[in-house]
Amino acid sequence: MRDIIVFSGSSNPELTDRICRNLGLPPGKVELKKFANGETSVHFGDSVREKDVFIVQSGAGHVNDLFMQLLIMISACKMASAKRITVVCPLFFYSRQVESQASKRGVPGGAQHRGSKVPDSVPQSPRLPSRVNVRDPSPRNVLSHRSVSTGSSLKTLRTNEASIANPTGYRSWIAQSGTLIANLLTSAGANHIITMDLHDAQFQGFFDIPVDNLLSKPLFQHYITNYVPNYKDCVIVSPDSGGAKRAAALADTLCMPFALIHKERRQKVDTAQAQSELMVHSNPSTSSLNSVSFATPGFPGRNSPASAPNGQPADDQQYVATTMLVGDVHDKVCVVVDDLADTSNTITRAASLLKDQGAKYVYALITHGIFSGEAMRKLKESQIDKIITTNSVDQAAHVAELDAKEMVILDVSRILSEAIRRINNGESVSMLYDHGW
Amino acid sequence: MQIGSGIVNDKVLELLIMINACKTASARRITAVLPNFPYARQDRKDKSRAPITAKLMADMLTSAGCDHVITMDLHASQIQGFFDVPVDNLYAEPSVVRYIREKLDVKNAIIVSPDAGGAKRAAGLADRLDLNFALIHKERARANEVSRMVLVGDVTGKTCIIVDDMADTCGTLAKAAEVLLENGAKEVIAIVTHGILSGNAIANINKSKLERVVCTNTVPFEEKLKLCPKLDTIDVSGVLAEAIRRLHNGESISFLFRNAPY
Repeated sequence: MRDIIVFSGSSNPELTDRICRNLGLPPGKVELKKFANGETSVHFGDSVREKDVFIVQSGAGHVNDLFMQLLIMISACKMASAKRITVVCPLFFYSRQVESQASKRGVPGGAQHRGSKVPDSVPQSPRLPSRVNVRDPSPRNVLSHRSVSTGSSLKTLRTNEASIANPTGYRSWIAQSGTLIANLLTSAGANHIITMDLHDAQFQGFFDIPVDNLLSKPLFQHYITNYVPNYKDCVIVSPDSGGAKRAAALADTLCMPFALIHKERRQKVDTAQAQSELMVHSNPSTSSLNSVSFATPGFPGRNSPASAPNGQPADDQQYVATTMLVGDVHDKVCVVVDDLADTSNTITRAASLLKDQGAKYVYALITHGIFSGEAMRKLKESQIDKIITTNSVDQAAHVAELDAKEMVILDVSRILSEAIRRINNGESVSMLYDHGW
Repeated sequence: MQIGSGIVNDKVLELLIMINACKTASARRITAVLPNFPYARQDRKDKSRAPITAKLMADMLTSAGCDHVITMDLHASQIQGFFDVPVDNLYAEPSVVRYIREKLDVKNAIIVSPDAGGAKRAAGLADRLDLNFALIHKERARANEVSRMVLVGDVTGKTCIIVDDMADTCGTLAKAAEVLLENGAKEVIAIVTHGILSGNAIANINKSKLERVVCTNTVPFEEKLKLCPKLDTIDVSGVLAEAIRRLHNGESISFLFRNAPY
């Protein structure tokens, strides 16, 4: 190991310790504090001059604080003449906010917020042309609605948003923070990024610096082959169509059957009134973001009346969400695979749907278990029999909370430390994609 | 666009995302109005490997797409040099001068700077008001803490007006007030531009011998106003509004350095 030093941000020091143990180095000394006014203070206790610096920070918890801390650490290392600065960020910051402005999901700050009304992830399924109603004549425009759904963190913005809600039919603009985050990291002085299971692999293209997107697939593969009994008879399930590719790849490698859960919002056809209203008021973004309501999974594949826990009843008159299972899971053991679980709505719904369809046992394999807000309670009550996640996010609190149900934490530090070792030595990282470590 | 204090990091990222969203929405020009510039105090490498976060902030704003920055009473005006885009550093001084003339006993007052760094600012104010000027010299042990203080100048029987650019925990101000009263001052009033008043600032002020603490409204503190009867505000929104108007019309801003609009 040449001139290497690994520093830990305050998000996940335990992961850094494990990485350092694997590398056989002590973690770099760094003092992370806050000034009385809330500004972050960073002080490095080890020299970084002409060293290969790695900074480990995971994007869960107080995301904005952690991100600023990371930027300040990068900048301080750069100013202190570090040779190269590599950011090791297993769960990437703002990774879910890369969609274009026509997207149906995501709002800056909203998805990361720990509120209970975070919009669920919605698959990018093709919509009926009649529903792509760009001009919204009603003043109920997207942004003003969204301020409701994002909760208290954006309270200060609400007054502004009330004035933005104009009746002119301007389609409100959604911030795409993906490029911004990439630019901020680059301009702070990062030279290289290591991350894991990026929500959108396209994120790599936003950077002008190399990004190594490691995969948790080998870890999951290992777990399934070794710990799932008769795994050849199990079914890999993707809880939404966005994650289909990831799940299908795993199924292919293990020669296992594959099923997909598909969510669709259908127009309700039973009342003429609802239809006429639809022509006037409907805005696909509005409705999909607010009424995060789904059919009770007992009626898959059919249009069924939606229950509306958080949403606005007006929208539910017009749309019903249907959840469809594509594939056969009857009397099978199901392995649900997803890259991240935040409020864990998707995963718990998927589990109850699978059980309704006759699944025997449901495993949930999640790379990044953020489990914010009500997630732990939901998981406890859910139909999931076993949760398998990784320590990319600090899981100590979650494990303590979830005693009733079995929770397995896989260790990603070996993959990360091997990637660090290889990058430091200038070796190829690609074998880690297939074999893991 | 504006940014205060409080949960600084959240606000900073919120601002950056807003700027970036405006930029990608083809805004012609994006001006960030930051009366209280975040991380303004971390402006130099005071220890080895210390971050220059103010420079980082400048880089962040520029790379998010900010074309112009308006700020007020920067902790160190050199921060303007960190930017590649124009920075207009406004002064609260004209508003402060008006406040002193209208509400305080000008004839029997003396302007006091609580540290050597703020001497220039205080001296400028004293010149404008034709008043005498005193200085407190201090040695700081750690950040957010104060230690020994030495008074330079005569304050006997006078109303002392302490002038500073920001008050955080108010430890400095409280200590300074004690030193001034020990040296025979009649009463002590503090005027600060950015009243961040974090931590136990309110308790410090209530306990201290300060007669009054006056802040501008660059940082919202309505709630603290209720908790502390000694607080008072100066409204600087007029200055900022006028700066925005002038900037938009391409007029000169330097007029605002000497005069406060009503």
